[in-house]
Amino acid sequence: MSEGAPGRILDAGELRRDVEETPDVCVVGSGAGGAVVAARLAARGLRVVVLEEGGHYPPEKVKMDESWAYPALYQERGQRATADLSITILQGRAVGGSTVVNWTTSFRTPPRVLRHWAGAFGIAGLDEAALAPHFAAVEERLHIAPWPLEVVNPNNRALWDGAGVLSWDREVIRRNVFGCQNLGYCGTACPVGAKQSMDQTYLVDAVRDGARIYARARAVKLDKSGKRVSTVHAEALDQAGRPTGRRVAVRAKVVVLAGGAINTPELLLRSGYDPSGCVGRRTFLHPVVASVGIHPEPVRAFYGAPQSVASHQFADRGRGKVGFFLEAAPAHPVLAATSLGGFGAVHQDQMAQLANSSVLIALSIDGFLADEEGGTVSLRSDGRVRLDYRIRPEIWESLREGNKALARLQLAAGASVVYSFHEDPVVMRTERDVALLDRAPWEPLRVAVFSAHVMGGCAMGSDPEKSVVDARLKLHWLDNVWVVDGSVFPTSLGVNPQETIFGIAHWASDHIASAAG
Amino acid sequence: MLRRNRYRRERILLPGEHEGRRSFLKWGLAGTALLFVGGGTWLATRRTRPAPGIGGPLAALSPMEATVMLSLGERLVPPRPGFPRPADVELPRRVDAVVALASPPAQAEIRQLVRLFDSALAGFLLDGQFRTFSDSAPEQQDARIRAWQVSRFTLRRTGYRALKKLVYAAYYAAPETWPAIGYPGPPSLGPADRGESPPKPARAEEPPKPPRRPRPAGPAPRPVEEAPAPRSGMDLPQEGKP
Repeated sequence: MSEGAPGRILDAGELRRDVEETPDVCVVGSGAGGAVVAARLAARGLRVVVLEEGGHYPPEKVKMDESWAYPALYQERGQRATADLSITILQGRAVGGSTVVNWTTSFRTPPRVLRHWAGAFGIAGLDEAALAPHFAAVEERLHIAPWPLEVVNPNNRALWDGAGVLSWDREVIRRNVFGCQNLGYCGTACPVGAKQSMDQTYLVDAVRDGARIYARARAVKLDKSGKRVSTVHAEALDQAGRPTGRRVAVRAKVVVLAGGAINTPELLLRSGYDPSGCVGRRTFLHPVVASVGIHPEPVRAFYGAPQSVASHQFADRGRGKVGFFLEAAPAHPVLAATSLGGFGAVHQDQMAQLANSSVLIALSIDGFLADEEGGTVSLRSDGRVRLDYRIRPEIWESLREGNKALARLQLAAGASVVYSFHEDPVVMRTERDVALLDRAPWEPLRVAVFSAHVMGGCAMGSDPEKSVVDARLKLHWLDNVWVVDGSVFPTSLGVNPQETIFGIAHWASDHIASAAG
Repeated sequence: MLRRNRYRRERILLPGEHEGRRSFLKWGLAGTALLFVGGGTWLATRRTRPAPGIGGPLAALSPMEATVMLSLGERLVPPRPGFPRPADVELPRRVDAVVALASPPAQAEIRQLVRLFDSALAGFLLDGQFRTFSDSAPEQQDARIRAWQVSRFTLRRTGYRALKKLVYAAYYAAPETWPAIGYPGPPSLGPADRGESPPKPARAEEPPKPPRRPRPAGPAPRPVEEAPAPRSGMDLPQEGKP
């Protein structure tokens, strides 16, 4: 790799022989964390190699079709879930990571969360003022701006109108889009290149400044030598995700792990690195419950920007209670069909009304109770990664109250009937019926629960015995490894996480650069 | 509107099984054992015959397992005007394609689950039914699905969830089902739409050098269209499937 030459995106699946790279920096993962770090370090003249297990899908290769998108663009071919299948996990797997398939919602980290981290986990130096310039830079690069209320789709409009009737907090969401055509297919990757996902932005910058990005190269093991990681080993994958037998070995001065909050702990555990027993612990999900409202007029929640209105009315419910926030979700056929409650005629009745359905979600803000440990990422005996997450009574209570809030919103917005996502859906036609949710079963696999926000697993903190990375995101026990993705959060956030990951990655790049330079 | 399923049945406990939180573990072990050591009993000799017209060579499931999935699909999507029958959208082939995407250990688990769900012996011991699922009358089939759906044992509900998601993901991925649910399909995009995109991603050969600030402001988003024109040729994409 010569100085000053542009880099490139390579498909490791096409390699005919094993490859060895010796850059300054090896970044594992090209999502919200890895892409920003790669671009920032490449811009300083450092030689950067990125390993990404997913494929590269520029807009012209994208299909607005769920049966193509979930296997191509999502973790575990769209089948990721907790081990008992009680919580469905939506997580991207592509050049650009989850930013390729997320719904573009952009919030800065709430200051109260940063204050909690400082107080409870001794995280010094990561405050609102320190992050502000980094958020500002990211917002400019990604064109993050409020979505105009005039073009909010009818599904999000139901949330807006309902919150208006109930006099609840409501706001228009800021989105990272540029030239968005309001199609509604963010979840199957933007077909017009308008979404400012990493493959369209920071990875373009990184490549311009010399970074080499290996697509379909899955990092499988870190080799240690003393207090350093000497080599990152990756295996090349074919189109179907099977190893081709070719390997990529990267010997770098500095290693940045950015595979996301399941895959980064997985890689550390696979490599035998867990000195404090905290790797894969404190996994938080923003557990989500959904509600479907049937409206007299068409809603067509499959069209239009999928998420553009939010309410944080219940984000802070006081001590001992788990807060939640309210947003909307798109209603494409497969996502809806695999989520709705019941089977047979019960399920079919709901599907038949899909075009008139609003779909709203409540996201529980987990990780803030005094003794809350969250979920666990571990390895199965056959080598697969495993996620367990026991929903505590306080979180069930939050999901139940969140579901009630959603039903109220939909009824206030004009829905004639609202269904919960229970296997025996709770049917609500008036405000009085909302209390029926108190009698519904709130137990695993009796109601659908989701997560699109996996956080934690390599929690930051000042105590090396109780955390995985320090307040500058470096692994406590190794000298040249940083973790820059959602896994470093010691709690959830109470907002969609992508912008926090962008901002923290932008901020951490300065520390990493001084170690790699 | 929604109908409450009033079905409720006393479950038959397995030998040594007691009601309680931990016994689902035993059920899991016993259930697995039933599959493999249950041979020799009359019930275990009951086998599902592959339905004719399962369609095409299968990548992951056996013809018998594909037949079970078709039988299950027929009850998860009961006959109703406008909704194609599962066989008409090649449900077994579609389910098979989804299963084939999973890792080999996950495929083995799914196939084991399908056989357990269908098994006459397990059906008898768990739910007092002594036919295979595929060979049962529709009411009995609904009762068995219901028993798994509302079981007090998490493991059984997990199995139900896995089977349900497989069937519905496969069925509603078929564009032929979309008219019944009022989904017109994705909007058509002309080359001009795609051409409007801001800087293209770097290609392997020649990475472009985009300006740091492409444009001061993006074009105004357009309001949601009332009814986008259905895309022509909405056949199921094959990429990403083995």
